[in-house]
Amino acid sequence: MIEFILMIITIVSAILALIQKDLLKAAILTGFSGGALAVLFQILLAPDVALTQAIVGAAIVPVFIALAVKKTQRRDA
Amino acid sequence: MAETQLAILFTSIALVVIGLYAAIFVDNIIKKIIGISFIEEGANLFIVGIGYKAGGIVPILMPNMDPAWFASNASYPLPYGLVLTSIVIGASTLAVMLALVMVLYRKYGTLSTSVMLADTSKQEEYNE
Amino acid sequence: MNELIPLMVIVPMMAALLLSAFSKYDKLIRILAFVVAICLPIIPIVSNYGLHFFGGYEPMVDNVTNILYHPAITYSFDFMQQCFIAMIGLLTFLVVFIYLSKYKKVSGPYLFLLFMGTSAATALILTDDIFHMFVFFEILALAQVGIVAASSIEYSYEMALKYMILGAIGSPMMLLGIGFLLAMTGTVNVTDIVAILRGGLLNVTSPVFLLSLGLIFFGWLYASGLPPFHTIKSGIYSKAEPHAAALLQSFTVISMISIVIIMFRIYSSLPIFEVFIVLFSVIAMILGVSMALTQTDFRRMIGFLAVGELGFIGLGIGLGTQFALTAGLFQALNEIVITALLFIGFGAIVHSTNEVDTRKLGGLLAYHPKVGIMLLIGGLAMAGVPPLNGFQSKLMLVQASLSCGYPELSILTIMVSIATFVVFVKTFYSMFLRPKPHDLEVADKEVPKAMVFTMLILLIVIFALGLFPNVVTSGISNYVGGLLL
Repeated sequence: MIEFILMIITIVSAILALIQKDLLKAAILTGFSGGALAVLFQILLAPDVALTQAIVGAAIVPVFIALAVKKTQRRDA
Repeated sequence: MAETQLAILFTSIALVVIGLYAAIFVDNIIKKIIGISFIEEGANLFIVGIGYKAGGIVPILMPNMDPAWFASNASYPLPYGLVLTSIVIGASTLAVMLALVMVLYRKYGTLSTSVMLADTSKQEEYNE
Repeated sequence: MNELIPLMVIVPMMAALLLSAFSKYDKLIRILAFVVAICLPIIPIVSNYGLHFFGGYEPMVDNVTNILYHPAITYSFDFMQQCFIAMIGLLTFLVVFIYLSKYKKVSGPYLFLLFMGTSAATALILTDDIFHMFVFFEILALAQVGIVAASSIEYSYEMALKYMILGAIGSPMMLLGIGFLLAMTGTVNVTDIVAILRGGLLNVTSPVFLLSLGLIFFGWLYASGLPPFHTIKSGIYSKAEPHAAALLQSFTVISMISIVIIMFRIYSSLPIFEVFIVLFSVIAMILGVSMALTQTDFRRMIGFLAVGELGFIGLGIGLGTQFALTAGLFQALNEIVITALLFIGFGAIVHSTNEVDTRKLGGLLAYHPKVGIMLLIGGLAMAGVPPLNGFQSKLMLVQASLSCGYPELSILTIMVSIATFVVFVKTFYSMFLRPKPHDLEVADKEVPKAMVFTMLILLIVIFALGLFPNVVTSGISNYVGGLLL
């Protein structure tokens, strides 16, 4: 059951990330999507992939995007 | 459960389609890049889904396990190894793209692709 | 000495890492880069043919199904690989030599990118594993983007970002295709997949198999710059520095042939595969030449001609007989040399005039007669004029398409060759032969000696391949015969 909830979180936060006007919020929602995917990988019997995805998808990627947003502009104009 | 595998397939295809939509139709370059990271995540999820065996165990052979029982119950670990590499490649690609975007923002002062990545031959003619 | 096979990839990769780590010490990295660059063409020549299994995991026979399978990443090294790796090693040596002699202060990260690209291209052609192919395909794309972005030409960042975004869409598609193949066969080793297909354990008419072909094909189109990616590919050639462009086009050719050979081994039982390849190649030939005709920037013109030449390679592979495949691979080898010569020669012109618009150039033969004549020979070789190597491979292609029963394709091949000749002679005339425009200032600079030396070596290779094609074609023909079994 929990895997279906995680899949829904992944897809919905992906869609929400793309319709945000504030790019910083989009970066955080990308992290949500990546983190949910990491837990999903754990449930799909791939703990090693889950660890990597948790670090990369939930921490590194949103931080990179947030840094880029900080150096450029926050509004999606 | 076959439903889980079907749901994995559906989720990965949904991620790929959302990502493709963003990468092709959204004008903001950062959102394009976020979309590209979703395509990569979708591909990764699909490959993990290949190795998944419903009701199976994590593919780690413990000393007290019977190898034959392990072989018939463990999920297939080869795709997991591939996905590890692919996740890291995706993150590094993303970092390079964001770095290029930061350089270009200093030149153009906007994140809009229609300004930033307009056809360069036209830009050259315009400058002349 | 089979141990040398992985070294062909490891040596440039280690050199790249060391060069980037010690980029503070100018003298040290000069010496290191030069020594490694000399080693690159030598290693494949002294190495023996054979297979290399990473980690020493030898192939095993499955007791139940009685099928041999390969648990390790496998490198296979044969005559074809030897030719191409030696050629790309030679080209890397020449390009690094030009770079080292051109700049007083060398940049470690730039040399890192050059060596990393060479390493990735070498691994692509050696590998027998589709996922390994994908990894190095990505590394090669990143290295190419870096080389383009590092050049000081205007709009190079924009071009690099465009190429990168297209690549970032294309490579997950390819990964999905690999995933579909993995899901159907349970392995990523090409030899194993072929064995499973030959054994009839897989339904080749299933839509999933066709879908995986389509997805990998999309990645291949991106890697080789065939339409719809021909504009971006010629764009990155024109935005890179000339010597780097010479290396970039060789990476393109290598990645094109290595991916297409893997696809050919897996999908050649599907008739639509060959139709696809011939279709895209023909479009590339026509579009490449016709767009080259309208360009005023001569770097862009060479870029489009290079894309057009790629179509010839694809045509040979798409026809699918032993002779046609040999012709296609021989054409690939020739194209690497000829296009490198043209890029470096035109780079020498940019060096002395700072002008890339053919409308504003003229009368350069009086200033640079040596470069002019060498460029003319290169252009004639590309157009396929007799004793040069382009003639030999194009003649083979025409014969192959005739013997396959497609005289239309051979007529098209000849017409595109003539059009290539026209494009080249038009550009050559407006740059070298017609009277010099009054407002053109030719700096009274000698062309760098390193560039002339490089062009001389490439010319020697062109003549050698043109006069003695059998040295290469007989070996490649044997290799192709092994593939078609």
